[in-house]
Amino acid sequence: MRLRRRRLLLLMAGSASVLAAACSTQPVPSAAPAKPADPAKPTESKPAAPAAPGAATSAPAAAKPADPAKPAADAKPAAPAATATPVVEAKTSAAVSGGNVVKVVAWTIGPDAPSFYRRDNLVAAAETLNKELEGQGSQDRVQVEASFESGGGWADFKQKFTLAAEAKQGPDIVLAGHEDLAPWSSAGYIVELDPLLKKYEQQFADVYPTLWPSVQYRGKTYAIPQDTEARPMYYRRDLLAKLGWPKEMIDGLPDAVRKGEWAMPDLVETAKEAVSKGVVESGKGWYHRPTRGHDHYMFYYQNGGEMQDKESGKLVLVRDALEKHFQLHFDAVKTHKITPENFLGSDFRQWHETVTAGKVMFYNAGTWTWAEWQKVYKVPEQQQWDDVGFMLIPSAARGGKPVTLSHPLVYMVTAGSKNQELAFRLLAHATTPALNSKHSVESAHLAILKTQEQDPTYQKDKFLLATGYMSEYTTFIPNHPKYGSYDEVLFRLLSAVQAGQMPPKQAADVAVDELKAQLKDDVITR
Amino acid sequence: MRGNNGSDMAVVGRGAAQAGPAAAAAGARSDGQPAWWRGHATALFFMAPAFVMVTLFFLAPVLITLGMSLTDMATATGLSRWQWVGLDNYERIVRGRFTLLILGNTLFYVAVTLAFNVLVGLGVALLSTHVEPKAGGLVRSLWLLPRISPSVVYALMWTWAAADAPFGVINQLVEPFGVAPRFWLASDPWLIVILINGFVGASMGMLVFTSAIQSIPEELFRAARVDGASAWQIVRRITLPLLKWPILFVLTYQTMSLFASYEYILLTTNGGPGLYGTEVWSLWAFHTALSSYYGNLEFGFGSALAAVLVVMGLAISFVLLRVFRFNDLVAEPRIEIT
Repeated sequence: MRLRRRRLLLLMAGSASVLAAACSTQPVPSAAPAKPADPAKPTESKPAAPAAPGAATSAPAAAKPADPAKPAADAKPAAPAATATPVVEAKTSAAVSGGNVVKVVAWTIGPDAPSFYRRDNLVAAAETLNKELEGQGSQDRVQVEASFESGGGWADFKQKFTLAAEAKQGPDIVLAGHEDLAPWSSAGYIVELDPLLKKYEQQFADVYPTLWPSVQYRGKTYAIPQDTEARPMYYRRDLLAKLGWPKEMIDGLPDAVRKGEWAMPDLVETAKEAVSKGVVESGKGWYHRPTRGHDHYMFYYQNGGEMQDKESGKLVLVRDALEKHFQLHFDAVKTHKITPENFLGSDFRQWHETVTAGKVMFYNAGTWTWAEWQKVYKVPEQQQWDDVGFMLIPSAARGGKPVTLSHPLVYMVTAGSKNQELAFRLLAHATTPALNSKHSVESAHLAILKTQEQDPTYQKDKFLLATGYMSEYTTFIPNHPKYGSYDEVLFRLLSAVQAGQMPPKQAADVAVDELKAQLKDDVITR
Repeated sequence: MRGNNGSDMAVVGRGAAQAGPAAAAAGARSDGQPAWWRGHATALFFMAPAFVMVTLFFLAPVLITLGMSLTDMATATGLSRWQWVGLDNYERIVRGRFTLLILGNTLFYVAVTLAFNVLVGLGVALLSTHVEPKAGGLVRSLWLLPRISPSVVYALMWTWAAADAPFGVINQLVEPFGVAPRFWLASDPWLIVILINGFVGASMGMLVFTSAIQSIPEELFRAARVDGASAWQIVRRITLPLLKWPILFVLTYQTMSLFASYEYILLTTNGGPGLYGTEVWSLWAFHTALSSYYGNLEFGFGSALAAVLVVMGLAISFVLLRVFRFNDLVAEPRIEIT
């Protein structure tokens, strides 16, 4: 009897401690990292991932101890392993003593794991900002708490920020795609930065002028570019050689594409030939993005598409370009069988595993995947250089202009921040050739600063140097609050076309009708 | 009893109209009889928590949803810059080119999953109660595994099992039978979606049916066997007629929950492949109001979709309650055996 009672007590005590531990877990999105063990040095803490609906979360393994000799941002932590569930890792800048300590909270995201410098550069910037403040005789000192989410999805991250902003529990700085600034500025979640940009003009003079339009909406600037990229067409050099291509021809392919001498029909023919000769399996001639995303619009732009009217800012749909874009994707699956059936909606991780296994002739993806394939999918760098080449997305026909698409990720200062100017100044200190180059090299994103090209770190990276020219051919998606609805219609119809549910011509007509019905005056169809 | 209550209420109504405020405040009628609420104070006291809960967590959200459905509330408007738009969102639903497609998906999903849930649940209950009790208990425990697994883990396991060749357990299992390996979630999305939901749903029916079967007096089965009835005749003539009410309950309950459920579809096909391949109404509402790749959540339009779902749910409950004569189910028995 006594033994049973003792067991019961032990069981109750165990349950109580489990319950207490569960209740004491820090919730993140508040991005509140664990308190630094040693207040004198920056720390890396890994709280549980936010509980977004429909998404599983997991906490990563134990924190890697930071090097006490240098700030956390200087250390190069290993990129987290590929995972289907989001992992949120937070870091805090070095503790400051004396003065008026101002906490600046920032939320950043990859989702690609190697992009962690989006967080780390903010942490590192705290140190230089504090020195500047001290030099100016200011009593303010900044302590940064920045989180970085990898492995998850954009929709959950954006939903988290939207709900937090409504609940007045958002961060001071949020990193997201440039297209988010339109709905978020309309809702009043983020602030216009023009007055501060004017005040601290010199600190942003180095940013490529071509990037500023991507952070503007209705003539006002709402964000600071954090990085940019191109989305090349990768090709397998080893498979082209198997197909009988001489080395000079393989090496010269990017130039031929750039000059418009080798176009999309040539790509399709080569992919068909590779399938017919058994160099690749059926359906593995061309892999485009397997999920929703910006990349699909490169093939719309390639065919003369436009997405936004420069004067009115309204969304634009060019029907004929859309039909050609749909036709290309239909033919790839149904006519030429160079892309698999039921491809849209398949697993991105499996996509990466297949292309890194060398089973696909052509595949388009972002520049950052070059780093991801090495760091996450463990492809040796030299092997990647030997076997894989990259070029612009070929023009729709010979003599045309090739394209690519950039999607700058941007830092925004939130309306709920009580320290907007300090948050902005932190961004200025995070936007330097040294810090941005670290991010560029680690994650294979292109430079956003002119002087980065002379930065020793950046200069050592031959992939970035080799893809830099692609910025001249780039396009953007529009900054418009209703872009989400626009994309919903076009992506669903693209899926329908590729699934054989609707012929391309009909899908283009439906797109025009549906966009007119849903967006009314916000869309111009041509 | 019900007739008496009705009479009382009628009397209270007339009495209250005639009595003055003082009498009403005292809770007494002019004829000296206690007010209606005094006579039912205990019942009201016990019902109050349920009433508060229903008001707070059902009626209030429904009213807020209905209100929001008349606005253009979205991420772009925030909670402070929205405008009333009348019935615009409902008009958008009616005129929407894909509305009928998604409605059809919803009806198909509910009907087929429901049939699977009830038939499989009934089958497992019948089989497991007609074998050795220990073996039957083991089978039922195994069938409960999907229900006790966390939804996300369960859905992810299915996603991996149904992965494209050369991956996927399903491919490896069916390949020896000459079935070509494929990406099951894309090639046969409804099959996977219905199986995922069906295995979870069937376990609930199984529990209800098992307890109902086990509560049937054993004498009935013995008598039937003595009379030479076959196993099928026993099931057909004794078990199934006595399971009428549990079957109707499971049908009604699961119809309602399937109309509102979308989590397994979200976690596996996410409404695809192709053009709204497996998008059901509740998932459409979720995608519209709470999950947007490009960040502009349309709360107003999503609320209109949710409001239509509520109306559909109410209409279906009404029909089911009438068709299945639930009043008879809850009526007091005409005779009482003591």
